[in-house]
This record gives sequence, C-alpha cells and structure tokens, in this order.
Amino acid sequence: MPGRLDANRSAVGLSDEEDGAPSGALMVRVGVQSNTLRPYLNAVRQTLTAAMCLENFSSQVAERHNKPEVEAGASREVLLNPVVISRNDKERVLIESSVNSLRVSIAIKQADEIERILAHKFTRFLTQRAENFVILRRKPIEGYDISFLITNAHTEQMYKHKLVDFIIQFMEEVDKEISEMKLSLNARARIVSESYLSQFN
Amino acid sequence: MAFRKIDIDALEEDALGQDELDFQEIGEARSRQEVEAQVNSRAQEVRTLLQRGNTGGALSSSLQSPPYGRGFEAAKARNTQTVMEVLNSIKVAEVAQLVKNLNPEEQDVLMKYLYAGMAAPEQNNSGVLLAWHEKLTEVAGQGCIVRVITDRRTV
Repeated sequence: MPGRLDANRSAVGLSDEEDGAPSGALMVRVGVQSNTLRPYLNAVRQTLTAAMCLENFSSQVAERHNKPEVEAGASREVLLNPVVISRNDKERVLIESSVNSLRVSIAIKQADEIERILAHKFTRFLTQRAENFVILRRKPIEGYDISFLITNAHTEQMYKHKLVDFIIQFMEEVDKEISEMKLSLNARARIVSESYLSQFN
Repeated sequence: MAFRKIDIDALEEDALGQDELDFQEIGEARSRQEVEAQVNSRAQEVRTLLQRGNTGGALSSSLQSPPYGRGFEAAKARNTQTVMEVLNSIKVAEVAQLVKNLNPEEQDVLMKYLYAGMAAPEQNNSGVLLAWHEKLTEVAGQGCIVRVITDRRTV
C-alpha cells in the first residue's frame, strides 16, 4: 500500500543531528533500531494482534444499520477498554477497540518546530489520500497525529498479520521519513543561503 | 448521528448507562475510607519488603486485591504508584524469572498496571514498563492482553 514509504526504505538509520550532513553521507544502516524502539514496536504489535478480534455486528440502535461501533459510540457495552502504549510523553499509540472495529491513533515524535511542520504536512498528505490507504482515518483523534480505523470488513478482506505489519512498518518509516526530510531541508537551506550571500562577496 | 443534537436513545427507559457497566462488588459496597486504608497499608507492607530485598514478595503483594470500581480514583492512583515503585526498583535481569513466578491472576493484574502506567508517560518511565510488557507477554501470551482490554474491572 505505501508506495512512497517503500521507495525510501534504503535510506534509514538517519541521525537527528541539527546540522544536516550532505546527502551523499546518508549511510545505509538497515535494521539498526535504538534500544527503546524495539520494545515499543513490539508492545504495539502484540497489543494490536490481541485487540484485532473483530466480527460482523449490526447496530443495536438503528435497524439495518451496520457501523463501526468505536466511531458511533451508540452502545457502550460493545466498547472495550482503550489502552495507551507510550515510548515517552511525545511518542505514544492509542488503541481503542470494539466488537466490530478498532481505532489506532499514533502520536509522531516532534522534537522541534521543523519536525512539527514536517509531520503535519506529511500526515495531511496521507489523510487527503485516505481512500488509497483503505484503513486510514480521514481525521486524527484529538491529541494524536494520525489515526487508522480497521473494521471487520478489512480483517475479512486482508490478512490480520499483514494489517498489523503495515501499521508497525508505518510507525518505523514515518520517523525515518521525517528526519530524512529535515536533513534535506537543512541542506537545501544551506545551499540557498550560500549562493544568495555569495553575491555580496 | 451528526445531524441530531440530542441523543434520543439515552432518554429511553431501558437505555444502558455507564454506571451499570462499571464494576461493582457483589454484596455490600466497601466505603472509600476502608479501601484507602487497605491500599495505604499495602503500600507500607510493599515498601518494607522492598527494603529487605524481597522483590518477588513485594511484587506479588502489590498485585493483591487492587481497588476496582468507580469512586475509588484516589485509591487507584495510590495503588498504581505502589506498583510503579516496585517495577522501577527491580533489576531488568530479574524480571523474566519474577514474571514466571506469578500466578495467572497476578499476571493479568500486572498487565493492567503496565497499561495504566504507560497511559501516564509524564509520571512513569515508559522504557521500564515496555521491558516488563515484553517479558510478561512472552510468559503470559496475548490472552493476557485480551483480558486487560475486555475486563470491566479497570485499575
């Protein structure tokens, strides 16, 4: 599904250094994850797998309606306890499940102003194309940057483990993507300012 | 739903309220003072056990009869704090063995407190909790997580 994410897979393991290294120096370090990232993603994976037990369930309120209960919120008895998995107070995942739907909301790491803008632009780009991502929710939940809504129809059409893999892969890629964009932004800004100021030599 | 400002289904006679879903103890409900006294005395007990270096005992006694139900928010917060103290004072190398020694019920309660702790990352060290979560899932499996998200007895 995420063509754009896949295309950039090779350039991973970027550091968060402020001064953008020239893009030629972006080393390919595949598979290197920091110490807290692995247990974090692992916990999200286990919780998602456990929570993704969805079945077809018609609305109890309106006849012949069938809607994701976690969104409708019309009957409390079919909603399960929401759980939060956090890596630190910036990065966390909220998993709300119900009998026929599951909502996953992700708060992306935003260390400074540039990252905040980049994360906003990036999630906006994706949510505007939500129909291509099938499970992406058009609007994130309050306090989070991006949300996914998985219903029983999705788990019937697609493999459950692949759905979980997709979300985990998304979480891995989005951090890399944003730090990569930040580096190239800084490099570009440096070149622009150099060529501009060289006129005054 | 969106066009209707009043939730007319809530006005129905047999509408299910949140208070009916919340956990209630069978028989006579305990008073708030009683629950808080129990939680405080357990906090004391756990602290003495920790000082003696009996981490296993401290862990399992901190997970005994946690306060459930509504109206006990202060006691719940206090008990979560007690459990967090225990979790933070145990070395990473010991975790796997300690988790194995817990009985299934204690494992479920521990999982509840792990999620409760991760829900407040400003107060707790998420790295420690994630390490515990990993070890506990290895031992107790995903059923443990399912029991946490379906149980109405929230901590």
